[in-house]
Amino acid sequence: MKKNLPPSELARDSRFVRSTIMDAIMDPRNQALAERDLGSAKLQPGRPAAADRARNLMHGIFTGEIQALEGAGRTTFDFDDDEAPFALKLDMARQCWDESRHVEISVKLGEWMGTEIGEYNEATFLYEAACATDPILRLCGVNRALEGLAIDVFNTMREFGDISGDPVLEFCEDWMLADEVTHVKMGSDWLRRLTENDPERRERALEFQRGVDKLFSLGGFRGETDENPIQLARKLRAMAGFSTDEIDEISEISVQAQEDARAMSAGASAPS
Amino acid sequence: MADPRKPRPAFAPWDRREIPGLFDVDESARRVGIYKWIEMRLFETLGGWVATVPELDVKLVLGRHCYHHAWHAELWDKRLPELREMNTTRLTVPANDAMNEFMESIREPEAPELTIEKLVGVYRVLIPRKIAAYTYHLNATSRITDAPTQRSLGFILQDEHDDWTEGEMLLQSLIETEDEVDRASRRQVALEKIVLRAGGITGPGTLGDAPDSSGAQVEGATV
Repeated sequence: MKKNLPPSELARDSRFVRSTIMDAIMDPRNQALAERDLGSAKLQPGRPAAADRARNLMHGIFTGEIQALEGAGRTTFDFDDDEAPFALKLDMARQCWDESRHVEISVKLGEWMGTEIGEYNEATFLYEAACATDPILRLCGVNRALEGLAIDVFNTMREFGDISGDPVLEFCEDWMLADEVTHVKMGSDWLRRLTENDPERRERALEFQRGVDKLFSLGGFRGETDENPIQLARKLRAMAGFSTDEIDEISEISVQAQEDARAMSAGASAPS
Repeated sequence: MADPRKPRPAFAPWDRREIPGLFDVDESARRVGIYKWIEMRLFETLGGWVATVPELDVKLVLGRHCYHHAWHAELWDKRLPELREMNTTRLTVPANDAMNEFMESIREPEAPELTIEKLVGVYRVLIPRKIAAYTYHLNATSRITDAPTQRSLGFILQDEHDDWTEGEMLLQSLIETEDEVDRASRRQVALEKIVLRAGGITGPGTLGDAPDSSGAQVEGATV
């Protein structure tokens, strides 16, 4: 078995349909959608499309959990003993089990919410963050950026379950949220330990994380205003080892990502 | 109420544990180091395979079992210094070249259509071999002096039996044609021949020495 499996080789059964993040961002219909004034973009049970949006998001969580499982698994395999410490690999193996459970929870929850595997497409950008060749870049991209986004998503979904009176959704998201805080803390701890005497490597890792954070902001998907469906979970991120400055930076990155997406979408829909 | 000052034996009448065991400290450490090496290679392999198997149920089981074997490796890593092996990487090695070749062969299949080959290697060859070696160690070592190893073996064997069952059930559900039966058999035969050359997963004497032709029993590595 070769090291560093490319995203194109992720194995799936016939139900899965793959798309790219650029397909979503460059969709020419985005401009028309953005011009509609529908008020807050937050997930609110009173909105007509709330149930469908929640199902779509749940399916996205499901495919994201599969890729997080695959990314953690590859990190146990891709690095030799001298490239990644034994204890780091043990943490990644533990994460494999956690992500495996999250996929199981997501399948059950998807059924509960009225969707099924393959109803929505799958983008592989989560796994792509797990393809860095330096293990600490991988930990920053996956555990701090991706799992950090998962904290924001699960917290938003937990609140949605609470206000919409869905105890099953709230229960499941609460449990997954506990695991995600653990995973982000794992990433923060390893970043500190592995780069203690190597500030250049630490900066490279943090720069990689910024890039992934911007990508994961998905053109305004995550942020701190009413325009962002997923809200930045400041308190939980602090529990997971993020400093206030780091959370502020993610918030700024989210704003920038939203502006970039607007500009790209406007460019795509302009007559040539 | 009984007199609390009345002398009682250190061992209750029903506690039949005895001191003698077949392994001295060095032999127990040698085996534990080999176990750790095998568990490491196994959890890495299962973790690597997760992304290469299209069957969703298999993918999730591999993710769960990956952690089981990582935990076993961690238990053995913690046991080594207690067996006077402070440099835990020194004994974290394969028993011999054939055993290294065996583990390389186990992890070789990569393509998404090779799930049967992947699972046969782990659940029909390696894990049964591990269960045999661990059970031998459990039965052969001193129940008093090497009790910490025995305690770990008990937890690990429980996992191994459960995982073996789950893996075998997956295999039986995946094998649907005579051709697939042949594929599974060919894979098993090829791997068994390599581990036979290795003398078992901890090398010759993995399950003790076989009885000689005179019928006299020659046991274990060290008495």
